[in-house]
Amino acid sequence: MNDHRPGAAARLSGLTKRWPGFQLGPLDLVLEPGTVLALVGPNGAGKTTTLNCMAGLIVPDEGGTEVYGSPVHPTLVEYRRDIGYVGEENGFFQGWKARRNLDFLAKLMPGWSKDRARRLAERFGLPMDKPVNKLSHGNRTKLALVAALAHGPRLLLLDEPTSGLDPVVRSEVLDVLWEITEDGEHAVLYSTHVLSDINRLADELAFLRDGQLVLRTGRDELSERWRRVSFRLQHEDVELTGVVEHRRVRAEHQVITRDSEATLQQLAELGAEAVEVSRMSVDEIAVQILKEGHHVVRAES
Amino acid sequence: MWYALKAELVYFRVWLLGGLGIAGGVSGLMLVLKFLVDDAEGIPGFLTGMFLFIAGMVVSFIVQSYRWEERRTRLLLAGTLTPRQLAGVMVILPVCFMSVGALAGVVMIGLTALITGNLDPADLRTTAVLGVEFWAYAQMGPLVQEATAARRQGRGRAAIAGWAVFAVAVLLLAVGMFFRHLIQANLGQMTAIVMAMVVAAKLYTGRTDYTR
Repeated sequence: MNDHRPGAAARLSGLTKRWPGFQLGPLDLVLEPGTVLALVGPNGAGKTTTLNCMAGLIVPDEGGTEVYGSPVHPTLVEYRRDIGYVGEENGFFQGWKARRNLDFLAKLMPGWSKDRARRLAERFGLPMDKPVNKLSHGNRTKLALVAALAHGPRLLLLDEPTSGLDPVVRSEVLDVLWEITEDGEHAVLYSTHVLSDINRLADELAFLRDGQLVLRTGRDELSERWRRVSFRLQHEDVELTGVVEHRRVRAEHQVITRDSEATLQQLAELGAEAVEVSRMSVDEIAVQILKEGHHVVRAES
Repeated sequence: MWYALKAELVYFRVWLLGGLGIAGGVSGLMLVLKFLVDDAEGIPGFLTGMFLFIAGMVVSFIVQSYRWEERRTRLLLAGTLTPRQLAGVMVILPVCFMSVGALAGVVMIGLTALITGNLDPADLRTTAVLGVEFWAYAQMGPLVQEATAARRQGRGRAAIAGWAVFAVAVLLLAVGMFFRHLIQANLGQMTAIVMAMVVAAKLYTGRTDYTR
């Protein structure tokens, strides 16, 4: 990773953080402007730590992050202008109204636009005159989003922004995020384990498991390559290219393949009959990738 | 930094006023009893003011345990504040609460003296020693929090330094209680306070994790 073009929205170079019994990375990742990258992984995979390192809230043991060419470190302030962050905890004054919290932040944040904050709050339908501790979980998330967006950051770091939200609010939040990224200038890195969000927002997916980046790919590329294939074949122990899951009941087989072209070609050569191919949704594919290793299940009766 | 400090003070003034109100109520009750019973020997003169000092200390402890971590995270992302400035807010807040409590305490002691017509110099000495002692306790909170955070973050030497300073500070405070001279006692207490403030701020700026 010696690519140092200043144009990248974020660049992780050998980012490593160790906790007792857990190591994140080393991670190498480049996020281009206009990209929405979903960081997908189970709980404890290292998504929050990655985002916190990128926001400068956690100092990595090795490697580092740059945001639009500025190095990230808690003692530096330059990079913070470009970052909007929504974390697990919102950090507001709980007894103050939403409006007062935003007014407080406005004086600390260079580039804060009260007009932008007001428009976002209206767009979200955020009750500005309610104390934060009286707001619902959804409204607190909306407030955190307004606080993260009001200074016009070019990179949004969102840690499970839709977690715990009801479907209506989740849809509203995703709509706003989609509108923000539509101009192609903003980059978004968001972590999620709500797989249905991926289809809605992400251009690219990065899969984290046990602190390691197991796959980074485009969403469309993923949809094109993965297929569920069922067929009839008399061979008992057939090894098929690209297959990550294989179920067999006598001569009836069902496989999930990450390289449908190669698998189908091999099936044709083997003389498989009654071949049926079906598409998989991105969240189905994500589940397959995040399962412990690409494995072959043989269900025989 | 001053803007963030002011915001914290404004936010927690309800706690402070509430604490001072309760302490003032207790002090007032003692004053009334003192007046009615007419027994100047029964209740020491410094005691009426001491409750207000204690209120300042208790509010400091509440603030130290009240969502500080989250808010520091938010403030750290808020553009221009550095960890050093946030450390400043963290260690100066107890000074502010204790100052308000001390002011109220001194007023109450003056009021007691006016009502009873008796101002014993020994009361003033005791007030000065106990007041600064409570302030020192309030400053130990951030030091203990940061020493604990250092240990949790695997910063072994920082954690040992933090706990060592805490032990020395407690020793100084304990020894200070036995000094006959006010200046000697206060000198020991002030040394403990300054050490606690400096080391707590230093440990905070050396954090490797600002989220917890």
